[in-house]
Amino acid sequence: MPDLPEHLRKPLVNLLLAAADDKLFLGHRNSEWTGLGPILEEDIAFSSLAQDDMAHAAALYELAGSIDGRSADELAFGRTPEQYRCAAIVEVPDEFDWATAIVRRFFCNHFDLLRLTRFSQSAWKPLSDLARRLVAEQQVHVRHVDDWMVRLGAGTPESHRRMQKAIDAISPLATELFEPLDELKSLVDAGLYPGSDFAMYDQWREAVAHVLGQSHLTVHFEIGSPEDRGGRRGVHTQYLGPMLDEMCEVYRLEPKAAW
Amino acid sequence: MSGSANIGVHVDHETQEDPQLLAEFQAKIDAGQLIEVDDWMPAAYRKGMLMMAEHHANSEIIGALPEGEWITRAPSLKRKLALTAKVQDEVGHGQMLYRVSQDLGKSRDAMLRDLITGKTKYHNCFNYPAPTWGDIAMIQWLIDGAAIMNQKTLADGGYGPYVRTMRRINMEEAFHFKSGEDMVLTLMSGTPRQKKIAQDAFDRWWGPSLMFFGPPDKPNARQLPPMRWRMKTVTNDELRQRFVDRFVPAAIDLGLKINVVEKDENGLVTASRPDDKVAFNKQTGHWEFTQPDWDEFFRVIRGNGPCNAKRLALRRLSYEQGHWVRQAILNGSTSLPPAA
Repeated sequence: MPDLPEHLRKPLVNLLLAAADDKLFLGHRNSEWTGLGPILEEDIAFSSLAQDDMAHAAALYELAGSIDGRSADELAFGRTPEQYRCAAIVEVPDEFDWATAIVRRFFCNHFDLLRLTRFSQSAWKPLSDLARRLVAEQQVHVRHVDDWMVRLGAGTPESHRRMQKAIDAISPLATELFEPLDELKSLVDAGLYPGSDFAMYDQWREAVAHVLGQSHLTVHFEIGSPEDRGGRRGVHTQYLGPMLDEMCEVYRLEPKAAW
Repeated sequence: MSGSANIGVHVDHETQEDPQLLAEFQAKIDAGQLIEVDDWMPAAYRKGMLMMAEHHANSEIIGALPEGEWITRAPSLKRKLALTAKVQDEVGHGQMLYRVSQDLGKSRDAMLRDLITGKTKYHNCFNYPAPTWGDIAMIQWLIDGAAIMNQKTLADGGYGPYVRTMRRINMEEAFHFKSGEDMVLTLMSGTPRQKKIAQDAFDRWWGPSLMFFGPPDKPNARQLPPMRWRMKTVTNDELRQRFVDRFVPAAIDLGLKINVVEKDENGLVTASRPDDKVAFNKQTGHWEFTQPDWDEFFRVIRGNGPCNAKRLALRRLSYEQGHWVRQAILNGSTSLPPAA
């Protein structure tokens, strides 16, 4: 598929932005830990994960920009809140709580691995080429965060209690990762985003449940109604606006300037 | 970043070292051989090296804080990634230097506790504020530039583990410096507002950069243990002059003005005038400059700087918030009741 058909361009940009926005804000939130992690060695590792996520976002913005003509920085910094397509789970602050940071990363990393795997099978070669590279890194993320889930879930009574509390608080947001994007079906039908969200949801639940079992942790998911509008359709939590204000504080001083 | 360890080494003259061992030790140092962790060393040397490496490690992880505050505000994806990687490097330097210190006999937890309770120090320059993006550019250009200058000489020192760590750190610092140079150049090639951001930040950081190398030397610096034992190889004043010779012409080239400033208690500039001493002296071959305010230096080092309390409070919060995580890693077991 050398040229994208006109009617698929907008839905594809939308899909790429959803993936990039999730990655950008997960990385952004996690980069708040750089220099403040609970253990020096993990501080360093967690920064690497945050950098990978933000670098994946940059690559996905480039790809989206190659379709609609905007630069990666314009896409990352230059939109209004309702133009972002990220899910609520990456918007909420973690309140400097390591359990929340890890649990958030756990749900997102497993989701991202499945989404990137679907990208890697896309009929649009620029996307499949990029995604194959990102999948390899994403697998490392999943291994790392799974290890933390087990260590803390099956650690001390206190760490177990904190982890369960974080799961109870974050899991209602986790399923919102699966909120359907507008016009997604056209991309699936055209082979640009092969597979189905239903199958992906089952795979995700299975992967997550497997690790939670090893961690002595439990979760109960409730999937929202398709009528509930969330981040995928531009309806965001109260946290996105202030996070964008902070992120764009310098950029907005001179949006046209080089920094 | 950071890493000067310009600290005094107190020699306990009550400790009587074996004269022969001491002579052999000094001969090894004088012959340029490296001292390794298992080698015999005078108690004062061990204590001094530990202080130096620990102070340096502390400086790295405290130094991560002022820049860390700006990761979430970096103005482009490229700068955001570079700054995260840069601050991560500093934490990595801290980790390596704590390892060197641990081998000299102090546990990491004891070092982190002494840091947050104010028993040990870190580099003075991190007690100054970084209120704008320009400050991040200046920290990476001036402070990292100063750190490279200092650490290159520390890499010529005599303690093997520290020397090897310095070599590794210096390679990474060179990237930080380049990134800082690029940020300053970008600002100075930008809009009038960007140029002002750079100049204002330069005014805030020029003084702390001059202070980076420590206070003026005692006349007998070369005979004192830190230099006699090659814990450091160049005096503070020599390093400061090298820095000035390198950075004054570079700043002028970029269009920055070198000012003498007055600051309020928050470290913000309240008055400035051109440093009229700045001139190249053909006879000495060096640039002349006005010395920084050394009263301010000693005031800040005693804990009364603009950001001392803030930096330690954040470090302490991080230590306390991470306690349960470290407990779980150290004492974690699988003896929990099975999942319900």
